[in-house]
Amino acid sequence: MNSGSFQSDGLLSSLNDAISRRALIRSLGGGLGAVGLLSALRGEALADQPHFPPRAKRVIHLFMNGGPYQCDLFDPKPALRKYAGQRPRAVQLRTERETAGLMPSPVDFERYGQNGVAVSDLLPRIASCIDDMCVIRSIHSDNPNHAPALLMVNNGTITPTAPSMGSWLSYGLGTENENLPSYVVLCPGRPVRFNILWSSAFLPGKHQGTYINHSDLAPQKMIPYLQNSALSQVAQRRQLDLMQLLNAKHLEARGPDRLLEARLKTMETAFRMQSDASEAFDLNLEPEETRETYGRSHFSNGCLLARRLAERGVRFTQVYYGNGQPWDTHRQHNKSMRRLCADIDRPIAALLTDLKARGLLGETLVIWGGEFGRTPTTDLSEGGNGRDHSHYGFTMWMAGGGIQGGITHGETDEFGFRAVRDKVHIHDLHATILHLLGIDHERLTYRHAGRDFRLTDVYGKVVRKILA
Amino acid sequence: MVALTFTLSLLGVPNVTLTDARGVEFFETRIRPVLHARCYECHSSEAKDLHGGLRLDSRAGLLAGGDTGSVIVPGSPEKSLLIRAVRFEDPDLEMPPSGKIPEREIALLVQWVKMGAPYPENGAGAARRAERARVDLATARSFWSFPMPQRRPLPKVRDTAWARGRVDGFVLAQLEKQGLSPSPPADRRTLIRRATFDLTGLPPTPSEVAQFLADESLQAYENLIERLLRSTAYGERWGRFWLDLARYCDAPAPWSVSEAKPYLYRDWVVQAFNDDMPYDEFVKRQLATDHMEETGREDLPALGFLGLSPVYWKELRLSPEVIKTIIAEEWEERIDTVSRTFLGLTAACARCHDHKFDPITTQDYYALAGVFASTQVVDRPVIAGVDEHNWIKAHADVVALKEEINLIKAVRPPPADAQKRIKEINGKIEHIRESTPHFHGLSTKAVIDSSVDVLPDGPNLTKLVYKPGVASDIAVQIRGNPSSLGRVMPRRFFAVFSQAEPVTFKNGSGRLELAEAIVGAGAPLSSRVIVNRVWLHHFGRGLVETPSNFGVQGERPSHPELLDDLAASFMTNGWSIKSLHRRLMLSATYRQASAPDADKHAIDPDNRWWWRMNRRRLEVEAWRDAMLEVSGELQRQVGGPPTDLDDTHRRRTIYGTIARRDIHDMLRLHDFPEPTAHSPGRDLTTTPLQQLFVFNSSFMRQRAAALAARLHGDDAPFEELVENAYQLLYVRSPSPEEQQLAAQFLQSDATQTRDELRVQYLQVLLGNNEFFFID
Repeated sequence: MNSGSFQSDGLLSSLNDAISRRALIRSLGGGLGAVGLLSALRGEALADQPHFPPRAKRVIHLFMNGGPYQCDLFDPKPALRKYAGQRPRAVQLRTERETAGLMPSPVDFERYGQNGVAVSDLLPRIASCIDDMCVIRSIHSDNPNHAPALLMVNNGTITPTAPSMGSWLSYGLGTENENLPSYVVLCPGRPVRFNILWSSAFLPGKHQGTYINHSDLAPQKMIPYLQNSALSQVAQRRQLDLMQLLNAKHLEARGPDRLLEARLKTMETAFRMQSDASEAFDLNLEPEETRETYGRSHFSNGCLLARRLAERGVRFTQVYYGNGQPWDTHRQHNKSMRRLCADIDRPIAALLTDLKARGLLGETLVIWGGEFGRTPTTDLSEGGNGRDHSHYGFTMWMAGGGIQGGITHGETDEFGFRAVRDKVHIHDLHATILHLLGIDHERLTYRHAGRDFRLTDVYGKVVRKILA
Repeated sequence: MVALTFTLSLLGVPNVTLTDARGVEFFETRIRPVLHARCYECHSSEAKDLHGGLRLDSRAGLLAGGDTGSVIVPGSPEKSLLIRAVRFEDPDLEMPPSGKIPEREIALLVQWVKMGAPYPENGAGAARRAERARVDLATARSFWSFPMPQRRPLPKVRDTAWARGRVDGFVLAQLEKQGLSPSPPADRRTLIRRATFDLTGLPPTPSEVAQFLADESLQAYENLIERLLRSTAYGERWGRFWLDLARYCDAPAPWSVSEAKPYLYRDWVVQAFNDDMPYDEFVKRQLATDHMEETGREDLPALGFLGLSPVYWKELRLSPEVIKTIIAEEWEERIDTVSRTFLGLTAACARCHDHKFDPITTQDYYALAGVFASTQVVDRPVIAGVDEHNWIKAHADVVALKEEINLIKAVRPPPADAQKRIKEINGKIEHIRESTPHFHGLSTKAVIDSSVDVLPDGPNLTKLVYKPGVASDIAVQIRGNPSSLGRVMPRRFFAVFSQAEPVTFKNGSGRLELAEAIVGAGAPLSSRVIVNRVWLHHFGRGLVETPSNFGVQGERPSHPELLDDLAASFMTNGWSIKSLHRRLMLSATYRQASAPDADKHAIDPDNRWWWRMNRRRLEVEAWRDAMLEVSGELQRQVGGPPTDLDDTHRRRTIYGTIARRDIHDMLRLHDFPEPTAHSPGRDLTTTPLQQLFVFNSSFMRQRAAALAARLHGDDAPFEELVENAYQLLYVRSPSPEEQQLAAQFLQSDATQTRDELRVQYLQVLLGNNEFFFID
């Protein structure tokens, strides 16, 4: 049942015909109180003005936590086969663990799209979307350890006390839908470092990511206190009407008061949210055919939820691939990559296609990547068939809002270890993402502990070559 | 030969008078365009942020080099850092960062350096470089927050009847100056609710209200304040404010094997407030009680302020450089928390460069970092009669042995004797545990004096070698880079606080000397900062609106003379916080009503001049505690281990478990600060998710049900229930209209039982603004 229908037959009219909602507001008298209350109850959007016209309105970040190996997927390096087992000087870079000689990738590549971009045979469906994607092969970061690298990608620094990118976006752009959180983090389980990665830190708390473990798909399991287990919606509306009436009288005697008004307003929002959020998070409302297209894995469900949230104006949705750090292939690397790629190929392709079909891809920026990439050399620590972390050079791709599709950007060295041309640091990536959303990364600041903080600290350069 | 004209003198200063016309021409036509296109964005006077302290747009800048030293050795490209950087020879120094420039340009630069790097004179660069020199301490000391606060003469006022004390004199003078006047005093019901929540975080009981209303003596209000200050609930309320600053949590690091009890620090803080421990002593004990002769082992929990610092994971498979960076992050965290909490200074930014605004130099930063580099977070036993040295060593040994097991387990394939070795080590651990008296005895999160060496351990591992009892000075890390070291800085306090050369610390790590300096030479700041924090919690906004930043970038005080006067007498009164409460709460300023006034609102909408009392929303702790209190369920046992804030938790919220990672939903939704860092004050947010909690949480429903049961009596008439509920929750009687609405609500739904509707009704009263806000 639609929540709106309770507006007219709630407590107010049933109690006393003389008191209607309108009369209530009239009874508050003229002046600021009534005006404030009216606008408060109307639920106007609060979104701030961007710095310049945005290319994208929102972001979906597909996070391959653990760190996927670039040269199995988007950055082919034939030299690995040629020099298999050898350890040329160029690969003598220190990473977390001891590694041996070069380990060839067993994967074949084909060229896709109008520009013939190479994509791995492990990702045939994603490859078919290549003309919407820009593959950045020259991303680099600062630290080969998971925790600091996760923090760098999410929070722009290795210290665990800075706001996350999603929080900055929520702070900078506000929300498009007051009935849903502006920043949602989906993970079937818990990624390493957990809530630090979506912390609002010193930004106001409402910009913190709302973490949702979607391994249980019941909406009331995903959002705290979403459902009332005790009352019918009618009874609840009646309860809320009484509350609003008493609160309005309280405000009338004391107002104008921004905080009192805000609470009245958010009461109404919360009431609507019970149905709106339940609806937004309910995958059962998707046609069977769509469910099939995305697949049935946890990650499939995450991608489909992300599309539903994007449609409803959620500013930033992050979909972590899985619990812990599934892409961290220190052992059985080749076998694991087959399994992991098979699991992401279908849902990501479905998401890109679906967003496009709905006319949403043009205004939604989709980002894919991990916290770092992996070494071309063999990791000796767990059986000698894995790859260690590498922050020196790895691949991420972006698609949709404001991105030039069908291209690659940057290069790694001949073994795919180190970014060497058109290098893109994580700070540059952040600057570019903010730019696409209409924000100048040097002007999005927050005064804290005596100075103005930025997502990009004192770094960051917009990568203009990849903009559409 | 051009190069000859640039031969370095013995002092390393090139002969700048000799330039060669051909060389200059080569520079201007070939080299400057490259520098301009590739380097000037970050390395010139036009750079928005000058990187690495390096300027390449002047001869002087080029020769002076940057933070990593000289960049050019004229004549020797191979020895010139600039050439190494553009050749991408060192992964840590690749310039420009966006990617390698074309080989042709590199060749030009090489040729230029070979020529002796000719560069025409221009005077401006050298002058600019001199500019960014030292912080001017003399000027800095005259900034408003640095001189010692003095009692100020009371300003003249027109209305001579209103003021009750010195606070009011200063406030009234400003009000009159702004064309404002004070609000009438709040009524007694408002006043007792306000004062009781303020000092105890709980609502007054109906009998306390009745007693206060009946007290016709002139001292009624004073008596009320005294009673509240004596209550143990006072320390629980004000101790929690302190815990926000101290980033308190019950589970600091999930991977830690510590058995120490963080709550001992929480209880110590609560007790210190209840005892009205002088604030200067409160500061000293938290930083250095183990160095104080007058305190004993039972006071060790005070060290939790430092002992609960976040400790970051140090992966021993990473290089010493990486580990050193992580340790440097820890120092920064300590410096940030100590300087903001006690001094209202933001010193952490001096890690990489002299503070851009405040008189804190990089040298000051590393002088202070030496104190924390000589301080190790450890558990310390609190029970009497333990050989502490032996106990701490036993625990350190166990940690080291466990790390050894981890490293064995990390080897793949597992060595043949892995199981055997692990078993042996476990045997050793077991032996230590059994042979160490009180190994599992009660211990507290604390610190000892100890420095650490970060050393390579074979080709692939790093080891940390702790040196208990040893203090060490550390070198300035240029631009915050642990691999790029400058001068070693003796441990000492910030130079701005001493007229002469600052005294270096001699006593162990220097923690006690630091603490004494904070409340000694640093008293101008430490006294003003704490006075302002107390004001903030009473009035809802500080006299300085940036409570942890009294520096140039912070806000200026709205009433500087008042703040000085309060701080000066605070120190004269033996740094007594309770005396300060009295002074503030007995003022006419505090006793004003909070009602709006359109005319005054037009002049001062933010109430910056205190023409009325601010209306304030309860912090989540007080809100939750108040609901448990009015429903008759609050258990008032003081102190002890925390328990999860689940539906069975009936104690005050301060006794709920605070995990650094998983903050309870109710707290998280209601602006509880992230316990990873010092929190100067809570940001108040109002969100729909909070209201979902009001409608739908089992907590609210259970409180409403308990309240219904409490008020039900023997089937009392509903009007009586409503009357009693209003008295309990709002400290007033309901109006006839409110009674009528209640009655109508109860009759509005025939499908539900009377009891169900009563519970729903009471849930509304609990969730209402009138309960959540203090007038």
